Amino acid sequence: MKTITILSGKGGAGKSTLTASLSVTLANKNKVVAIDCDADAPNLALVLGLDEENFDSWEPLTTGAKIQFSKDKCKSLKFCPNCPGLQKCMNACNFSAITWNTEEDLPEINELLCVGCGACQLACPTGALTLKKVENARIGVGKTQYGFPIISGQLKIGESGSGNVVNALRMKASEIAEDIQADYMILDAAAGVGCPVIASLRGIDYVILITEPTSAAFWDLKRAIELVDHFNIPCGAVINRWGINKDFTYQLQDYFQTNNIPLLGMIPYDTRFIEALVNLKPAVVYEPNFKTIFEDIMNNCLLNLQEISNAISQ
Amino acid sequence: MAWEWGEEEEDNKIVCIIFNPGKHLMKIAITGGKGGTGKSTISTALAMELSHEHKVLLIDADVECPDDHIILPTTREKVKNVHAMLPSFNPENCSKCGSCSEVCRENAVVFIKDKYPFIISRQCNGCGACLLACPSSALKEGQQVIGTIYQGQHQQPPGRNSNNLLLVWSEMDVGCESTSLVVNATREYAASMVSEYDHVLIDTAAGTHCNVISAMMGVDLALAVTEPTPLGKHDLKLILQLLKIMKIPTQIIVNKSTIGDSNLIEEVSRDNSVPLIQEIPYEREILKKHSRGQLVIHKTIEELANTITVKFLGGTHK
Repeated sequence: MKTITILSGKGGAGKSTLTASLSVTLANKNKVVAIDCDADAPNLALVLGLDEENFDSWEPLTTGAKIQFSKDKCKSLKFCPNCPGLQKCMNACNFSAITWNTEEDLPEINELLCVGCGACQLACPTGALTLKKVENARIGVGKTQYGFPIISGQLKIGESGSGNVVNALRMKASEIAEDIQADYMILDAAAGVGCPVIASLRGIDYVILITEPTSAAFWDLKRAIELVDHFNIPCGAVINRWGINKDFTYQLQDYFQTNNIPLLGMIPYDTRFIEALVNLKPAVVYEPNFKTIFEDIMNNCLLNLQEISNAISQ
Repeated sequence: MAWEWGEEEEDNKIVCIIFNPGKHLMKIAITGGKGGTGKSTISTALAMELSHEHKVLLIDADVECPDDHIILPTTREKVKNVHAMLPSFNPENCSKCGSCSEVCRENAVVFIKDKYPFIISRQCNGCGACLLACPSSALKEGQQVIGTIYQGQHQQPPGRNSNNLLLVWSEMDVGCESTSLVVNATREYAASMVSEYDHVLIDTAAGTHCNVISAMMGVDLALAVTEPTPLGKHDLKLILQLLKIMKIPTQIIVNKSTIGDSNLIEEVSRDNSVPLIQEIPYEREILKKHSRGQLVIHKTIEELANTITVKFLGGTHK
C-alpha cells in the first residue's frame, strides 16, 4: 500500500477539494482509504457529501491530559516545612497555565493553556495536583457514497494534542486499510507546518503539494517544502486556480522545474468548484468535464511513485 | 477593566454592545477556523484603514505560515530568537533509571534499559517534567531556538507619518512542534509596546487548537472571518464554540460574500446570536490584489473600520 499526503502550508489552497476528487478518481480502479488529518477543522467528509451524523461509528479518544487541583491538599502547603509559599507549581509550568491568586494564596489553573505535561504535579510537594486523562477528541469511520471509507477526527474544543489525534486517526485507518487490503491511503493535512502536519508526514511515501498563484500561498508552500525536505519525502506539485494570475503561474512552473519537483497537474480557476462545494459533491463528480484534470494528476502521481520505487530497488 | 456588558434589541436580534467609556486600548483577534477565508487579507487591510487615524499594532500570530508581512509593505527587522527549554544531559550523574522517559508525554526521551536516555530535541516541548523527575540531577535546564521574532514599520508614501502601523510577526523553525510557545513569545514581546498604541490587532492561524487559543487569550473582541460555503459554516461553528468557552465577544465577517450561499452563515449567526457585521464581496479586483500580495483597499474594509471604531471604541472614524 502507498500512503500519499496532500499538503499546502496555506489554508484554503484546495487540499480537501483535491483530496476528495483524487480519492474518487483513484477509487475507480483501486481500494482507497481517505483520512482527514485536520482534526481542528475537518472538512473532507463534507466535500465527499458525508455528514458527521451519517458516519458508521464515532469513538472517544483519551490521549489528552489535564491537571486537576485539590484545594485542601494545597492548603497543607502552608504547613509543609519544605517550601512554604514557593509557588513551585507555577514556577514549574512553562506554558503560563498557572497563575497565583494572591488573595487566597492559591494557584489558579487555566485549563485552556494546560498542555497536560505533568511538570507541576512533579514539582508539587503536597500531591495537590494530579494528571487526569481526558477525552480530547473523537474519531469517526464512515463510508462515502463513492465506495471507499473515510476516517475523520474532531478535536474537542479547547483541548490540546492535535498531533496525537492525527496519530490515532492514522492507526485506525491502518487497521481498516489492512482489512480491506487497500492500495492507497490518502491523507488530507491541516494548514500550517506545525504538530498535526508533522504527524501527517511521518512514514509517508509521497506528498502532493497544492498551491495557487498568490504570494501568500507561494510563501507558505516554500515552508511546506522545507518540511517535506526535512523528512526527506518525495513530492510532486499541483497548481490550483492557475487562471487568477497567469504570470505568477509561469513563475511557479519555473520554480518547480528548478527545484526538481514534478508538476503533476494544474486546476483552473472556475466557479463551478465553489458550486460543487455548496452542493456537497466532489468537483470531479459535480462536473464530469473536470474528470481529465484529476485523472492526469492521478496518473502523473502514480507514474512518479513508480519511478521512485524503481530507483530505490535498483 | 472598565468594561460593561449590555444587551440591546436591534432589528429583533439580540446584540452585545460593549461600552468603552473613555479611551481604552482594544485588542481584537481576527480568526475564523477555516484556512483561506481571508484572515490575513482583512487583518492587513483593517490595520491599514485604522492607522489613518490611530496608532495600530498588528501581530501576525500565525507563526507556522505568517503572511501579513508579504501583504503589508514594511521594513524587516529581526527582533530576537525565540527559545524553548531543552534539557541538557550529563551522563556522569545518570543512574539509567528511566524516570525521565516515563514522565515525558511527548515521547521526546527515548530510554532503553541499561542505556543512557536520548532526547529528541524536535519533539521536546520544553515542559521540564524530566528535569523534575530525574533523581540524580543528570538533566539540567538548557535551551534551543524554535523561532524568530521580526517587526517592521509600515512603509507609507513620503510625507505621511509612518509610525502609525507596526507589524510584529514570527517564523517558527520548520520541524518544530511547539507552535504555541512561539505565539506566546511573540505576544509577550508585543505586550511590551502596547501602551504606545491605540489598537492591537492579532491575526490568528487557521484551526482551533493551542496556537489559536494562545493567540486569542485575553483579547476584547474577536472577528470570525468565514466564507459562505458548507465548509466555512462548519468551521465557523467550531471557532464560535471556542470563543464562547473563552468568553470573548465575537462578530462575524463574511468574506467572498457573493459566492456560495449566504444563508449558510446567516443561519449560524442567528443560531448562536453572534452578529454578522460585514460582508466583503468576491471581486476580480480583490482577487488580483490578493494574488500579487498587495494590500486590499475596498469600501467594505472602510465600513468595517468605521463599524469597529464607532460601535466598539465609542469614537468616530474619519
